[in-house]
Amino acid sequence: MKEVIAVVRMNMMNQTKEALTKAGADAFFAHEAQGRGKGFVNPKILEGTQAGYEEAASLLGAKGQLYPKRMVTVVVKDELVDDVVQALIAINQTGKPGDGKIFVLPLTDAVRVRTGETGTKSIV
Amino acid sequence: MLTMIRAIVRPEKADQVLAALMDAGFPSVTKYSVAGRGKQRGIKIGDITYDEIPKVMLMSVINPADKDFVLETIMKTAKSGAKGAFGDGKIFISEVEEAYTISSGVKETAFASEGVSP
Repeated sequence: MKEVIAVVRMNMMNQTKEALTKAGADAFFAHEAQGRGKGFVNPKILEGTQAGYEEAASLLGAKGQLYPKRMVTVVVKDELVDDVVQALIAINQTGKPGDGKIFVLPLTDAVRVRTGETGTKSIV
Repeated sequence: MLTMIRAIVRPEKADQVLAALMDAGFPSVTKYSVAGRGKQRGIKIGDITYDEIPKVMLMSVINPADKDFVLETIMKTAKSGAKGAFGDGKIFISEVEEAYTISSGVKETAFASEGVSP
């Protein structure tokens, strides 16, 4: 059993949900999150600077702003991890910085509250 | 193998911690709001108990070698006062088996930190 955490762009949520269902992971939960990465220049700010907006110019050198993201957590069986990760990459990839990250963490057990089932049974 | 650090800190301290991490050369962080209580079972003011205290969760994935340095950085900035106080938060560390950058599709084996951790 593995926990797949993906931080993706906000406007990609609908596609991501669809892709997850197709990959065989029906259940997931999501957080609203804010994040930052290595700190590349934001293309929107660069555009604004070129258009001559002073506010954009003052933000150009600024580092460490947080951008709104969605954090999706899926718990899947070991066999499904690769499929889910590749599906997430395929659907969320635009090739520009800010597409997000995917982390795979080990998980020892899970319980379905309704029935008390544990292990793989609880997540299928 | 990479290391995930999840730190629950006071909302008012989050900006300071983020700035400290940036200066230390660890720019990549994800932040989200959480609510919770700790060992003190919340705060009791008069007859009312507040046990869903708002906090901020900071999540970052780093190289295992940088773990102690990052911990120290967070701990130093998230502490209130010299001694610290109840409610300053907790830090959890877990293992990450795989990590991918979506924009390139590359599986990461190590995250380069800009700064040099001593």
